[in-house]
Amino acid sequence: MAVIEVAGLTYTYPGSSAPALKDLTFQVEAGQLVAVVGANGAGKSTLCLALAGLIPALFHGQMRGTVSVCGLDTSQHAPGQFAGRVGLVLQNPANQISGMRYTVYEEVAFGLENLGVPRAVMPGRIEHALDQVGLAELHDRSPYTLSGGQQQRMALASILVLEPAVLLLDEPTAMLDPAGSQAVFEIIHALVRTGTTVVIVEHRLEWIGRYADRVLALAEGEVVLDGTPADVLSSPLLRQIGVGWLRYTRAAHLGQKRGLWPDTQALPVTLEQAVTGFQQAGARPPTEEQLDADPR
Amino acid sequence: MIRYSLYVPGDTWLHRLHPLTKLSFSLAAAVIIFGGPGGWLAALLPGLLALLALWRAGLFRQAARTGVRLLAPVTVMLFLIHGFFSPQNQTTLLRLGPFAIGQEGVAYAGLIAVRLAAVLAGSLLLVFSTHPGELVQALTNAGVPHGLSYLLGSPLLLLPQMAGRVQVIQAAQQARGLETGGTLPRRVRALFPLVAPLVFSALLDVEERSLALEVRGFSAPGPRTSLREQPDTPGQRVARRALFVLAGLLLAAGVALRVYGRH
Amino acid sequence: MSLSQRLKADFSTLTLALIAVAIVLNIVLGQVVSLLKLPIFLDSIGTVIVALLAGPWAGGLTGLLTNLIWGLISDPVAAAFAPVAMVIGIVAGLLAKAGLFKKWWQAIISGVIIAVVLSIIAIPIRVFMFGGVTGSGADFITAYLLATGRDLFSAVLITVIGDNIIDKVVTALLAWAIVKGLPRRFTGRFPRASAVID
Repeated sequence: MAVIEVAGLTYTYPGSSAPALKDLTFQVEAGQLVAVVGANGAGKSTLCLALAGLIPALFHGQMRGTVSVCGLDTSQHAPGQFAGRVGLVLQNPANQISGMRYTVYEEVAFGLENLGVPRAVMPGRIEHALDQVGLAELHDRSPYTLSGGQQQRMALASILVLEPAVLLLDEPTAMLDPAGSQAVFEIIHALVRTGTTVVIVEHRLEWIGRYADRVLALAEGEVVLDGTPADVLSSPLLRQIGVGWLRYTRAAHLGQKRGLWPDTQALPVTLEQAVTGFQQAGARPPTEEQLDADPR
Repeated sequence: MIRYSLYVPGDTWLHRLHPLTKLSFSLAAAVIIFGGPGGWLAALLPGLLALLALWRAGLFRQAARTGVRLLAPVTVMLFLIHGFFSPQNQTTLLRLGPFAIGQEGVAYAGLIAVRLAAVLAGSLLLVFSTHPGELVQALTNAGVPHGLSYLLGSPLLLLPQMAGRVQVIQAAQQARGLETGGTLPRRVRALFPLVAPLVFSALLDVEERSLALEVRGFSAPGPRTSLREQPDTPGQRVARRALFVLAGLLLAAGVALRVYGRH
Repeated sequence: MSLSQRLKADFSTLTLALIAVAIVLNIVLGQVVSLLKLPIFLDSIGTVIVALLAGPWAGGLTGLLTNLIWGLISDPVAAAFAPVAMVIGIVAGLLAKAGLFKKWWQAIISGVIIAVVLSIIAIPIRVFMFGGVTGSGADFITAYLLATGRDLFSAVLITVIGDNIIDKVVTALLAWAIVKGLPRRFTGRFPRASAVID
């Protein structure tokens, strides 16, 4: 059963001459982890807002086509009705703090209170959400005393506590350091195993190569690639649209041209695949200087 | 250095009163002090009551210090200006060279000063013993629309964060050679580079903040629930209603007296 | 549009988030200004910005709540002037609606109008609650005016207008410049902003 159905989605922001999204059509099955890549301005954030039901309700503008999430048509329902079914985590951790609550515990409760969840049920859900993101010991702290990575995990908990069927993330690690990013990715990976559908806009291709079930590449508002990480992350089109390849993918591609990578083997999109492939070919990958001198 | 909190953490009987009870007292006191019949009496009684409550909660010294800090300049000016220059002055109390201190002016200044001190005591009773977040929560539970309680509550936590940002921008601009001392034109020119980055960055955050609120059901219709409940007693509920009625009666009496009779 | 629909539109989540940020700006900018030791307060710049973007009622609410919150956390005296702060927002919003905030020189005139109107509201509060006194250097001007034979009301009126006129003109100019400088994508979400930008 497709939990996200997009059909012919075209959207233009008010006051803009060109559409931000052009005729998108795709479906996402329950429990999939879909990564969305693309250069800046390709429409990735706009797609997130459309899947969350915030476009067209809050942004007006012109929309054609339909977006249906968890069976709800986004042009027929107010954002409030999506809140318990679709979660959205944004880039800036500080902006996702409501400012209404003085402890992490109460901050996470904010969404439950808005949606009228009975008080008796709240502690269990809050504690579960805090455990999922690893913030249980910090439940008493003031949200503003947390680090960026901790605040982002709190934002994640604040959404997870609503038990959404679909979780959208728009560059959630863009403002985090590597340790913070790793923590977020681990949480998301654990989530998918429990059946939540995840759509994540990300630039860190290593993680996508390792964990995503499917990758959508956007360019200028259109889906130009849609397939497994193995296919998409090694497609030449990905470099043309400004996203680029992982270093070891490039290394293997170069190696292929010089007989250092088996022709019959697909290009690697994870470090393990690269190491295995090069070992099999019995050669060492080209050095940094060779890569830089020949940047194809 | 601007203080961002008057709240004095503690666990006294005053702290444990329901926030709305204390709010009702402060508001009723303000109404009675300024609108009630009797001038001095209307001001002194609620003021002394408030001070008594503060004393019994061990907050008197703090209240006195804050009161002096906030009201000293105004009080001094009141006595100087009305004492010397009040148009009502007829009887002279004291002569200082070419200036005369008039009795009517001093009396007027005294009344205003007592009123201000009394109203301040009434509000300090609330502000010292109530955590701002709890006051907002109490208002929300009492039925204030959640949008309004968001506007009352979130600036309280945002404030220290943005004050921190101000320091950063100040330091950055000064490192770029921004002059903040010197002649007036130079200081005026320094205004935009200090104000603009803060305002722009704060305003551009607004969109993301509102989206984050939306996805947590901020605009969802339907009844809301709350995680915590504040302890309230039937006695306090009665007291709040009584205060409301009392303030209303005294206000009506005071207005009637002023309009129809002699003050 | 019915009243409740209009309320919902005027006070969308976006507007509420804007007002919350503007309230904080009102309070915090005073710090910046005191660093520069200029004869202005800049404590209503957030109010005017909200009025320009979201209309008079949102602007009025910003001013009102700024003073109430400031009264709660730092200086209860400020709460008494909440109506004045509210009027600043309402007047700025109405002036913008009337098309008087499009050019920089119009912003200056609007600043003067705001200063005059707010003084009219502020005087009764000043005189009745505070005996006409502010506790600042402006009181010396009031004293002088009283000594020369004016009555309390007009003495305070002149002092308050004088005290506020520079501040409100600067505030109006800065708010105008800032709103014009905001990216189109942001201001486009505020329908009332077109009265200032176009």
